[in-house]
Amino acid sequence: MKKITRGVAALAACATAAAALTACGGSGGEGGSSDSLTVATMTLPQSLDPKDAAGSAMPFFQAAYDTLVKREPDGTYSPMLATEWKYDDDRTELTLTLRGDVKFDDGTPFDASAVKANMERFAKGGGGMAKTLADVEKIEVADATHAVLHLKQPNPAMLFYLSDAAGLMANPAKFDAAGDPLKTKPDGTGPYDLDSGKTAIGTKWVYTADTGYWGTKLPYKELTFRYFDNETAIVNGLKTGQVNAAVLQTANAQARIEKDPAVETQKQEFDFQGILLFDRGGEITPALAEPKVRQALNHAIDRKTMLAKIQQGRGEVTNQVFGTESVAFQEELDSYYSYDPAKAKRLLEEAGYADGFELKLPRISAIVPDALASSLQTYFKAIGVELTWDDMDQSAVRRIFTDREYSGMVMNMGQSANDWVAIGELVLPGTFNFFGTTDETVQKLLPQISGVAAKDAEAQLHELNRHLVEEAWFVPFYRLSYLHVSDGSVTIEPQSGMALPSIYNYAPAE
Amino acid sequence: MLSFVLRRTAAGVVLLFVISVLSYLLLSIPDNDVGRQLLGNRAAQDLVDAKNAELGLDRPVLAQYADWLSHALRGDFGTSWFTGEDVLQSITTRLPVTLSLMVGVTLVSAVLSLLFGVWAGVRRGPIDRFVQILGVVGYALPGFLVTLVIVVVFAVKLGWFPAIGYIGFTESPSGWLSTVTLPIASLSVAAVAGVSQQVRGAVIDVLRQDYVRTLRARGLPPGRILFRHVLRNAAAPPLTVLGLQFVGMLGGAVLVEQIFGLPGIGSMTVTYTTRGDIPMIMAIVLFTVVGVIAINLLVDVLIGWLNPKARVS
Repeated sequence: MKKITRGVAALAACATAAAALTACGGSGGEGGSSDSLTVATMTLPQSLDPKDAAGSAMPFFQAAYDTLVKREPDGTYSPMLATEWKYDDDRTELTLTLRGDVKFDDGTPFDASAVKANMERFAKGGGGMAKTLADVEKIEVADATHAVLHLKQPNPAMLFYLSDAAGLMANPAKFDAAGDPLKTKPDGTGPYDLDSGKTAIGTKWVYTADTGYWGTKLPYKELTFRYFDNETAIVNGLKTGQVNAAVLQTANAQARIEKDPAVETQKQEFDFQGILLFDRGGEITPALAEPKVRQALNHAIDRKTMLAKIQQGRGEVTNQVFGTESVAFQEELDSYYSYDPAKAKRLLEEAGYADGFELKLPRISAIVPDALASSLQTYFKAIGVELTWDDMDQSAVRRIFTDREYSGMVMNMGQSANDWVAIGELVLPGTFNFFGTTDETVQKLLPQISGVAAKDAEAQLHELNRHLVEEAWFVPFYRLSYLHVSDGSVTIEPQSGMALPSIYNYAPAE
Repeated sequence: MLSFVLRRTAAGVVLLFVISVLSYLLLSIPDNDVGRQLLGNRAAQDLVDAKNAELGLDRPVLAQYADWLSHALRGDFGTSWFTGEDVLQSITTRLPVTLSLMVGVTLVSAVLSLLFGVWAGVRRGPIDRFVQILGVVGYALPGFLVTLVIVVVFAVKLGWFPAIGYIGFTESPSGWLSTVTLPIASLSVAAVAGVSQQVRGAVIDVLRQDYVRTLRARGLPPGRILFRHVLRNAAAPPLTVLGLQFVGMLGGAVLVEQIFGLPGIGSMTVTYTTRGDIPMIMAIVLFTVVGVIAINLLVDVLIGWLNPKARVS
């Protein structure tokens, strides 16, 4: 019997040795070389057809398509497929001058009729961003290199949209093809082509540089996006050099990577987090119709402590919904509402709600972690407001938007440098103002802002922002600090208005 | 044996149908606003309604199911609502990843469990106690903790293996081995702990049998007794557990695939289920059920082949 066990032991030893040998072959990753760039992302594009494009997935599209207008890292615009753009005096006609020397891969020329075809398809295509072209009445093809956008009313965000999803130009020859091939095989004029052989849609997208690209070539021959559903894997990938660049949103992942001497990090304040109050008319929660009640909610919470404890101090306390790069932004509004439960109680009393009221909000746990849920409950309870959370899966958002069951919700919202983008989402009746509430001041100011460039409406934008804060349309907590991380081989320039930078913002580190 | 296989296969087909109906109904119960998820929180409501209508979600559930079934029977599983990929194609690109893990873990745990189990069962004494303690510890350690420690030590600190990603076997066999080694190792810990205890117990039981004593008395070499007689008779319980481990591994694979960023079925199941992507989930469910039925059948056949007594019962 002894013989057998010795044999068994020898086998075990062999197995261990084999494992050790294979281990030696394991080092090295896909990212490493300076010719290729691997970017990790937690955004999953719905398809690669521009009609389905959304701002958060822009880098996937930028690789294969060009936009009409290029948005620089600081939010300013520069020529891309359109070399010039000009508004008429009442800002309802936008004339675009187009490049005449650009062709799609199959030889189809890029011209004004391609612009018309793309934009009409985008507006009618049923994608999430289709409404951004709602103000476009018709698109006129003046000649091959001139397209004129006729607007129903002035829209100061139009150039922003043309530098975003609505401005992506695909090959019109593919529009009517059976099975919508653009969904998985993009065809544009962009700097890269999708390498279908190396790509596994849903997990890994590999783009190779288009040698015949008309514009300035980007420094990488190969560009890879990898999708992850958790930041742990991204952090591990960065530490081992398999991922070259990523943006980390959670405080824990940021703290984990910061200590690593090999990685380069850069902060960007992007989303703000807060309660978006929808029900300012008091349809569900009558108390919310009173500005004093909404102000009381703002005074009830201790933002500084929340930021320190929940976000490990990563961010800036704020009371306004406009971002730091917008014209409407005013620093002093960040501290308009102090933490003052006594004042909050007094305001409730004056509004006729001395005994408080009940407030029911939906809770999407990805946005509202336990710590945030219980602190808000505690703060509100201290002034007599009974906050209950309705736990819901991210999939049950129907009850928020369609059934209008709630008077508000906690959201993380990206902050654009363009004031009108924020106004369109938060102030105009629609997306996040679906009860359509408004007031005289807002109605007076909006037309004055929409008809001119933002810098010419600075006074009105300031007035609007201050009004929204004073009337407490929202209960913002803080701007969250995101961390751009590279494995040291890349320099990353953060992009205004986007969490994941544009593909033009990466370069090999010196 | 043939009629046994046929009977089991027929039962499997019925099971497959029942599960497909149940899954479809269960997936349709949650208040999923697929259109809203597709278009995002910032989309206008009329676009969302139009998208839902386009996907046929405004029809009765049974009509939707009938439609799905008639296509599926013709081998058309449709396209994903969320990424537009062909469902069949995307499953066949991800299946090798998860199968690599499952087969790898099964092989590793079969070999190691046999080694440890037989060693402990035959030698007893301190070695036995050592293997038992290892078994308890291995089984008790939470899977995610084992996985995280393995990644941090062998990938991040030592740099022996990649921390994330998967390289296909056809692309590069050595690359494949380097990417699956750590995931397989982390999944194997609990599997080896469980199965080796089964092997040990079964070996001890059989060694105590009268016929083993008789064989020894007749002077048969110990090796022959062990391999020809003892292991054959001791095979059933460990094989059953191994089969169960294989089936249950999909749960473990979810976690491991997420931590290692592997593009497998496990992580895919979670992603698409939370989104309510019915075409994708239904196909995953069908593939999984077929796999479970096949494994159970295989285990039964294997036990019957190894041990004729089981065939009779």
